[in-house]
Amino acid sequence: MPITHGTLELIAEDQWIAPGHSLYLGLHFQLERNWHIYWVNPGDSGEPPRVEWQLPPGVTAGPIEWPTPHRLETPGIVDFGYENSVTLIVPMHANASLSPQQAVQFGASLKVLVCSREMCIPGKTQLSLTLPVKIQSPLPEPRTAELFAATRKSLPLPIPKSWRINVADANDSFVLTADAGHPIMQAVFFAVTESQIANAAPQKLVPAASGFRLTLRKSDQLLKPIQRLKGVLVLSGDRAYVIDVPISKARGGSDAP
Amino acid sequence: MKRSILNLVVTALVLCMASVMSSAKVGDSAPDFTATASNGKTVHLADYRGKYVVLEWHNNGCPYVGKHYKSGNMQRLQKQWTSQGVVWLTILSSAPGKQGFVDANEENDYLAKMQAAPTAALLDPTGQIGHLYDAKTSPQMIVINPQGVVIYDGAIDDKPTTDLDDVPGATNYVSRALEEAMAGKPVETAATRPYGCSVKYGD
Repeated sequence: MPITHGTLELIAEDQWIAPGHSLYLGLHFQLERNWHIYWVNPGDSGEPPRVEWQLPPGVTAGPIEWPTPHRLETPGIVDFGYENSVTLIVPMHANASLSPQQAVQFGASLKVLVCSREMCIPGKTQLSLTLPVKIQSPLPEPRTAELFAATRKSLPLPIPKSWRINVADANDSFVLTADAGHPIMQAVFFAVTESQIANAAPQKLVPAASGFRLTLRKSDQLLKPIQRLKGVLVLSGDRAYVIDVPISKARGGSDAP
Repeated sequence: MKRSILNLVVTALVLCMASVMSSAKVGDSAPDFTATASNGKTVHLADYRGKYVVLEWHNNGCPYVGKHYKSGNMQRLQKQWTSQGVVWLTILSSAPGKQGFVDANEENDYLAKMQAAPTAALLDPTGQIGHLYDAKTSPQMIVINPQGVVIYDGAIDDKPTTDLDDVPGATNYVSRALEEAMAGKPVETAATRPYGCSVKYGD
């Protein structure tokens, strides 16, 4: 399906959908060189793709599993998103009562903003995909296997169990401390919720013997305190981890409410 | 190794200072500026002390700006508030050659065609005013009170989309800030994410 400055396809990971099983669908964007779409937190400008599903009875959609975003910088502005090509995967859960039949149709109404560094073009697209329903456990679709495998590699992982992450509120910034058991020289944080971190502000990293300390300037739009910091931590070699930690008061700060 | 870490830290500090210095936050004094308007007049922000001032970042090629002009929303706001003594300054910070850059004549034609009614449209091709206020998007909106303090900085409303259909049901943050401030109340939503297209600054 052509979209502005690219193509968009709705694809499935399996050959059919089975009652009581989950199936991953993918929104595969292939954009012209230097055009991009946005992450769930788009950063300073832009907006993420929005999808409304039309699902067969007995099927429910989970949330989009967003690949690790990239920083898209223009003078004075930092956005988060994906250039050239990306697949957004979404789990679909089929109820055990879904009855085997010839085929069911999945529909997706999308609103997508496609941008280059120079301009943005909003678009609306309707996609559909027909899949058989079978009782047998689903078999992977060979034509999309590579794409889904590559997409899974681009998803941030759960933080390793042995790591300890702390986030302290230090007035105009959050200080994220990671104890990983070894020194870490490179880390960039992407907040999943907009207006928490100043996107364009430099993130000051201080390596430590057992990890690192990263200072994140708060967004000017953050006027009320937040309880948790959720986001993606990207280390060297594109290793990326999901973090979701409570925010504590900085040591030496006041304990008064 | 030590040297390179030190260099990194020094670079980070310098960058940090530069970005802190360039932004005007809610509650701060609005930095003064002098600009040439599309009608040829020179505008000093300080001359409007004693009045409410609205700053509207504009780029005529941006679909988020288009939403508010094609629906007539922006013109309606301009007329509504300037008729109550508010000064409305539309600011064009696109650099030459970038989307939204226009000369004075082109801007005057646009204002006439769209029946726009700002107090003035300010030409800011160097991005000086944009950087002074750390404007990120079009249409970012800033409200300054008669004492010269920034009381609102952010989005025009609570529907960050390009859909004209989203205009009628939206909560307009600019109107709400002006209404609350004029009634002597604090502005409840004083800072929001300014949605839209990135401001097309020069390199």
